[in-house]
Amino acid sequence: MQRLQLLKDTFFGLDVAQQQLIIGCAVAAAAAGGILTYAMQRSSKMRSIPLGEGWWGAGEKPLLEDQKIYPFTVETSDEEIEDLHERIDKTRFTDPLEDSGFQYGFNSTYLKKVISYWRNTFDWKKQVAMLNKYPHFKTKIEGLDVHFIHVRPLQSGDQRALPLMLVHGWPGSFYEFYKILPLLTQNHNGFAFEVVIPSIPGYGFSEAPHKKGFNSLAAARIFLTLMERLGFSQFYLQGGDWGSLITTNMAQMRPDCVKGLHLNMCMSNRGFKVLLSIIIGPYLPFLVGFSQEDVRRLFPFFQKNVWQMLEESGYLHIQATKPDTAGRGLNDSPVGLAAYILEKFSSWTHMKNRDLEDGGLERKFSLDDLLTNVMIYWTTGSIISSMRFYKENFSSNPNNRIDAKTGIFVPTGLAAFPQEILHCPKSWAQIRYQNIVSYTFMPRGGHFPALEEPRLLANDVIQFAKAIENL
Amino acid sequence: MFTALLVALVIGGLIIFLVQRRKNQVLKTEDGWWGAGAPPEGEEDLTIRSFKVTTTDEELEDLYRRMDQTRPVPSLEDSQFHYGFNSHYLQKVVSYWRKDFDWRRQVDKLNQYPHFKTNIEGIDVHYVHVKPKTVPEGTKAIPLIMVHGWPGSFYEFYGLIPMLTEPSDPGQLVFEVVCPSIPGYGFSEAPRKKGFDSVCAARIFHKLMKRLGFQQFYAHGGDWGWLVTTNMAQLAPKTVKGLHVNFAPPSKPGLLVTLSIVLGRRFPKLFGFTETDVERLYPCMEKLVLESMKESGYMHIQATKPDTAGRGLNDSPVGLAAYILEKFSTWTDHDFRNLEDGGLTRKFSLDDLLTNVMIYWTSGCIVSSMRFYKENFGKGLDAPHAKIPVFVPTGFACFPNELMHTPKLWVKQKYHNLVSFSPMQRGGHFAAMEEPRLMAEDIQQFTRSVEEMMKKKKE
Repeated sequence: MQRLQLLKDTFFGLDVAQQQLIIGCAVAAAAAGGILTYAMQRSSKMRSIPLGEGWWGAGEKPLLEDQKIYPFTVETSDEEIEDLHERIDKTRFTDPLEDSGFQYGFNSTYLKKVISYWRNTFDWKKQVAMLNKYPHFKTKIEGLDVHFIHVRPLQSGDQRALPLMLVHGWPGSFYEFYKILPLLTQNHNGFAFEVVIPSIPGYGFSEAPHKKGFNSLAAARIFLTLMERLGFSQFYLQGGDWGSLITTNMAQMRPDCVKGLHLNMCMSNRGFKVLLSIIIGPYLPFLVGFSQEDVRRLFPFFQKNVWQMLEESGYLHIQATKPDTAGRGLNDSPVGLAAYILEKFSSWTHMKNRDLEDGGLERKFSLDDLLTNVMIYWTTGSIISSMRFYKENFSSNPNNRIDAKTGIFVPTGLAAFPQEILHCPKSWAQIRYQNIVSYTFMPRGGHFPALEEPRLLANDVIQFAKAIENL
Repeated sequence: MFTALLVALVIGGLIIFLVQRRKNQVLKTEDGWWGAGAPPEGEEDLTIRSFKVTTTDEELEDLYRRMDQTRPVPSLEDSQFHYGFNSHYLQKVVSYWRKDFDWRRQVDKLNQYPHFKTNIEGIDVHYVHVKPKTVPEGTKAIPLIMVHGWPGSFYEFYGLIPMLTEPSDPGQLVFEVVCPSIPGYGFSEAPRKKGFDSVCAARIFHKLMKRLGFQQFYAHGGDWGWLVTTNMAQLAPKTVKGLHVNFAPPSKPGLLVTLSIVLGRRFPKLFGFTETDVERLYPCMEKLVLESMKESGYMHIQATKPDTAGRGLNDSPVGLAAYILEKFSTWTDHDFRNLEDGGLTRKFSLDDLLTNVMIYWTSGCIVSSMRFYKENFGKGLDAPHAKIPVFVPTGFACFPNELMHTPKLWVKQKYHNLVSFSPMQRGGHFAAMEEPRLMAEDIQQFTRSVEEMMKKKKE
């Protein structure tokens, strides 16, 4: 009260000009604040983004498109395997620098061991049979043959079947989800998932686009069409890496169809709020919505986020600018392709793997699983088209694209794995994901959790769905 | 008020004094050992051995088989060179390589100059050494070391060498030329230990020149060669008589450079900017930042994961050709990205381009060549050599299509003794190979200027 009186006295003690100046400033500040708040509110008022349209086949678009769904079987031949073996035998190794671990990329000495296993022990015919244990299909959408597997729940009866689409990323594939599939199609308190796992066009058995411009919005629209064609009006989505962006776009395009969106990787907005929290976070985490675990995973910020990102994003830079050049050699050299892909399975599972002679690869994955994923890229020759996806998505400033400026309003679940490349705290995710139902700090796992920690990921997806279904 | 001024002057004086102290700084370095294991006991092997480039039927058959087995992927419709090397044109290049390119004849061409190898710090260093046949009465040939870059090689200088060792005009200077291969490139052995950066290469080349008996010499370089020769000038300024470069990106943009970027468009005269400078620098977001981002993906991946990046290229000659020749297209003229054939054969012959690629292929050096990026950038841009200026007389040839345009003001920040700054009529990043005559002329005029300066000093 006294202070207020003091202020009043001071104010009325000034002369008129000064008083007007102060009032003017106060009004201006209030107006600025109001405009700022309104502008920020406006940007997230958009509740959906337009579907758009596209056609990606070769040449001209025909009048009618075939909408049937055809069964598909993965095949191989003796010629294919012999060709692979011949190329492996003719590979020209370069010795690694002494004592360099995985710091210069995939260590050549360890690569020799992986290649030896691939050449002598890995059984591609057996793996193909294993791939075919789930039913595969292809259907033409927007001019491209889209590949997917479609798995119904194990038991029928009076359990509910919740449709769920899982979307992979790079350098992964539909195969990453083979361990989590049986866990999802089991009965959980009266419901089970009916799972659809497509391949992004340009990856694996999905045809590659022939026209420029195929970005995540196009992939999202194609996958929405797929779900519609399969007869699902409402469904769940799960994704990581590119799958995270594509499923997010799907939720932005048709929020009415998406019951729940589950992500294991989320890209945080840049922006003032993020910047402020980076500066204040280490000292007053609670003020900016950080938990102790957030602080532990985010800081030291420069080291973990900027420096590390620079060290790990060379592939992103070259693929976003010169994909045809970057992938050319990899389509002739299976050894080169394996090194390129498996280096990610090493570093992105745990950054410390870069100091190990063997990149820590076999600590969390089996060589059979890793090489099956590589074989999907090899046998389909899809490495270049998979890389083009980077250029198509980064061709203009990604922060200016309509989906980056629009919020996500469907119920969202986030699984934050500790060794994910970039940690995204809940407070950052909330800037765009306005309806976060669950945010879980996972105890272990990195960038490929479906393959590395299938049980942990499955449990989080299940609890998320249960929360939404109110079970 | 007066006190404030006094304090400012004292502080200013102190800063100038500290900066002056740096003037006498010479780049320091220590010996290294790059061979396998520990250095052996006993004397160093100082012998110089003759070397001949050779090939075999097996080598060619293996190359052809790999080409025949390549698995092409069609480029997107209407994408030219915007996504990298266009697959349709790549097939044409490979077809020429398979049927018309004569590697044996090119090997003979490579051997027209004498090659040698000598062991320095544990690795075999390869070089070409060309002595002039005749030297004008009363003069001696001027020793000149020329250092290549990536993805080039000593071969880039083959058009330039005769113009320097046997100039057509009797009034021109005659040079004795040494063209080494950077360790890890071509016929020079690759280092086996971590840490081989441009300063190590510079030190090794100093030892080479000393071993060849040169007390003083000139140096020329572009791309990595620019940095290696600059380091040579920083390591032993009294030994390097003159430094000629065609590439000089500022390593640490200081206050003046930054100011010139911000104000240069409005006040070009203030910074000595010519019309060309303004045209090539502005709009600076697009021309400096975006263009660099578009073209530096290779640098980013090679500076972080060279072993991964090069792995496939050492098995696939087609992949290697695409990777290397994409640079010869785009870095010669950015507009070539809009062409279906990347404009490759407008300035180069396929024979020359493929000979350079064959040097990488037959020596299997692509991975080690890429490691040089990690060794140089791995610790960031704060290396000691980046903070020390160059006092050796320098000549800069400014080619219009060089990757990064550097106006005179920027070059002078680092090269404090800039004797000549020549805006060239045409040419891009691989100027020595693309415009050898223009390059030879500039080296001639620069060397003449320095020689005259030296003469005046003696008198």
